[in-house]
Amino acid sequence: MKSEVQNLGIETGYEVNTSLNRRDFLKVSGLAGTGLFIGISLINTNTAKADTHSTTDNFEPNVFLKIQPDGRVIIMAKNPEIGQGVKTSLPQIIAEELEVAWEQIEVEIAPLDNRFGAQFAGGSTAVHTNFDTLRKAGAAAKEMLIQAAAKKWNVRSDQCYAKAGMVYKSNSVDKFSYGELVAEASTLPIPENPKLKDSKDFTIIGKAIGGVDNKAIVTGTVEFGLDAKPKGMLVASIERCPYYGGKIKQVDDTAALKVTGVIQVIPIEASDNPTMLVAGVAVIAKNTWAAFKGRKALKIEWELPAGSVESDENLKNQFEKNISGAGQVIREDGNVDSAFQTCSVVHEGIFEAPFLAHAPMEPQNYIADVKADSVDVWGPTQVPGRVRSIAASLTGVAQEKINVRMTRVGGGFGRRLMADYAAEAIYVSKAIGKPVQVVWTREDDIQHDFYRPAGMYKIKAGLDSNNKLVAWHIKASTTSRGIFSNPNETNPSRTEVFPDGFPAGFVPNFKMQYTPVVSHVPRGAWRAPGHNVTAWLDQSFIDEMAAIAKKDPVDFRLETLGKEDKIMPYRDHGGPEYSTKRLKNVIQLAAEKSSWYAPAPSGVYRGFACHFMFGAYVAEVVSISWQESNRFKIDKVWCVVDCGIVVNKSGAINQLEGGVIDGLSAALNQAVHIEGGKAKESNFNNYSLLRMKDAPAVEVHLVDSQENPEGLGEMALPPIAAALCNAIYAGTGKRVRKLPIDLEQLTDS
Amino acid sequence: MPKFNLTINNKSFTVDVDADTPLLWVLRDELELKGTKFGCGIAQCGACTVHFNGTAVRSCSIPVSAATKAKITTIEGLSESGSHPLQKAWIELDVPQCGYCQVGQIMTAAALLEKKPKPTDDDIDKAMSGNICRCGTYPRIRKAIHQAAKGGKS
Repeated sequence: MKSEVQNLGIETGYEVNTSLNRRDFLKVSGLAGTGLFIGISLINTNTAKADTHSTTDNFEPNVFLKIQPDGRVIIMAKNPEIGQGVKTSLPQIIAEELEVAWEQIEVEIAPLDNRFGAQFAGGSTAVHTNFDTLRKAGAAAKEMLIQAAAKKWNVRSDQCYAKAGMVYKSNSVDKFSYGELVAEASTLPIPENPKLKDSKDFTIIGKAIGGVDNKAIVTGTVEFGLDAKPKGMLVASIERCPYYGGKIKQVDDTAALKVTGVIQVIPIEASDNPTMLVAGVAVIAKNTWAAFKGRKALKIEWELPAGSVESDENLKNQFEKNISGAGQVIREDGNVDSAFQTCSVVHEGIFEAPFLAHAPMEPQNYIADVKADSVDVWGPTQVPGRVRSIAASLTGVAQEKINVRMTRVGGGFGRRLMADYAAEAIYVSKAIGKPVQVVWTREDDIQHDFYRPAGMYKIKAGLDSNNKLVAWHIKASTTSRGIFSNPNETNPSRTEVFPDGFPAGFVPNFKMQYTPVVSHVPRGAWRAPGHNVTAWLDQSFIDEMAAIAKKDPVDFRLETLGKEDKIMPYRDHGGPEYSTKRLKNVIQLAAEKSSWYAPAPSGVYRGFACHFMFGAYVAEVVSISWQESNRFKIDKVWCVVDCGIVVNKSGAINQLEGGVIDGLSAALNQAVHIEGGKAKESNFNNYSLLRMKDAPAVEVHLVDSQENPEGLGEMALPPIAAALCNAIYAGTGKRVRKLPIDLEQLTDS
Repeated sequence: MPKFNLTINNKSFTVDVDADTPLLWVLRDELELKGTKFGCGIAQCGACTVHFNGTAVRSCSIPVSAATKAKITTIEGLSESGSHPLQKAWIELDVPQCGYCQVGQIMTAAALLEKKPKPTDDDIDKAMSGNICRCGTYPRIRKAIHQAAKGGKS
């Protein structure tokens, strides 16, 4: 289980074995054992019956739920809520098996507490990983409540049943509310393997349930990290070295200290680990505006790092050299070189993808209150466990004395898997001996991101005399994010390309090669890491081969997948395998829903793409129309997904619509350019995000399935760029080989 | 520091701040009205939208010195107990994902509905394109505006 999280390159901060005191162990049955990264086992504590002395009158059979004598049912939301909907969907799972009506429950954000197991938002794993555990948590509690009622009635448990927060005696009017059973239930042993409901009996899972925070969001009362600053707390704004890997040479803070409200100015030295602290100067002030103003008044000289100054141009030179050369062989089936000799057609293309910034709407911010023997930190993060580890290493305070509180997060997208901004808050609070909130400007956020890696890719493929795809050779070179986080990374390709991804396994001659490029430019996981480029490459180039074969793009993919249903190996996150039957099913459904085979109206052009990722299957169709000769409008997108069981129908569709729009936004407009060792882009005036007027209608179809539920937060994004580019080809006869899309730079194919 | 008198949500406030302090930071840091959000600071994202004599404006780009004679409405003052038709539609249609931009979206949409009670899609494009939603809830926002305009019926 540990390896699954590490494959994602997510450091959740759960390496440390934290011991619990005995009272906590007995009171609460759930325990995250040493080294247990994912999931949590419910332990049958027969001793709990005899020795438990609960400090409250609540019924708390596990960390996930409390039932009070007054009947209130409180369910804890264990993972950070970043807009992916887990604050609603994870409690739904518990509520379903607990047999309460959704309206009866209240949801609270859980504290960071090892008893919940790993608490993080990443890899689209929450529902998939927690599904069984949370069902058992709810079901165990329900069984205990039934047993408590049975005891009070002096009947057998199987003569009772639970529904909507009540226990009923069969063939009788007798009933107890859960609240009335709290005291009795708290004395009972916790069942280790409670019986779970049949999915056909679900009344909460699978329904469209509104987000639990919606009312608070629309009234402006929900608490994001930036909002969590208590009145009177100091604010710090940091001028960071604009040159990646650079240092402070000289600081003149005289003018800054004269700005009204500024209290102190302190330097920050860069950490050895570039995912932590960057060289900078922090201005601490009484309020946010004073901190911003004070910072503008700093006079700083910076030092570039040693070596050649980084730029798009010198990166591109390295990429080009690498994809013309050899490169580490990641996968090799058959012999592509001899296959190309005998192919009827051989076709080649070079693709380029830029750095992308995450730009979540809530700029980075974090609060730290570092005291001599305890630390309180709170704010927006995808990895509260990692924040705790960082706090321990920066302050020397033991993890048990570090309290991490999660606030709602105004967007994650992978940016907040890094806890650099939390490290800054902890560092500054420790240095000044006072609590402080570090606030980033939007410019800070765009220029000090951990970007989606940039790269170049050469793909060469061949068709035999039957126009069947028989050879595929891809050479990739990127600024691997794996080697940025860990210079000793032994497999830099791991985060960048996927050797088991289609069409690997369907082409008798297949070769994948990879060469990393070392760079100071910070890189990290960006929504659907790796896949957000590879799906564009694979689904664009397969489309090119379909056109050369003079076959319909959808048919060509179906032919390549083969008539026979196969289970294919997938040795990466989302594996260990995938089903061609499920992939073909979403392809065919997308074709059907979009009327793919019917001719498009005049001036309307469509493109198709499909993908398997993180355990789920997606197929998309993009329909565009030309406005003028050099402008098109995206009218509609169809998105068909098979993700197994869907927990929250509304939340699921929201995620898929969002992933589509995010992917379109990136493909159309987004790039971060490097010049003179730093980023050129700085704010939304030069890093453009898609807006209302350009957002298409999105029609989502979820395949009805009883397979294990898989995550949807990232799913819809990877293939959408290819679907759009393939639509552009349909309209122009030219290919997009470079992102973001520039209609003046299309390639004749 | 100079003092400025402000009228916000029909209440009077006096704040002691620099004249160039954006209204956004006066609301958030001085008056603890945190519903209005900081997103970009250069009027590009709309997260900071408030009403200035009924017009939707970006509070990050209005210095407090320019706000003293206006009637300002923030999300906190838009309706009693969150019952504005837009707020209701937003909840019924489960619009938000992360939720950070939504206050700004609602404030801009509310100003639109005051001027155009039955907006077309084109009206919505024009009025709402200054508000970025990074999570891509645009289709739901559009639907919610139409629903609120129809008096809450979809």
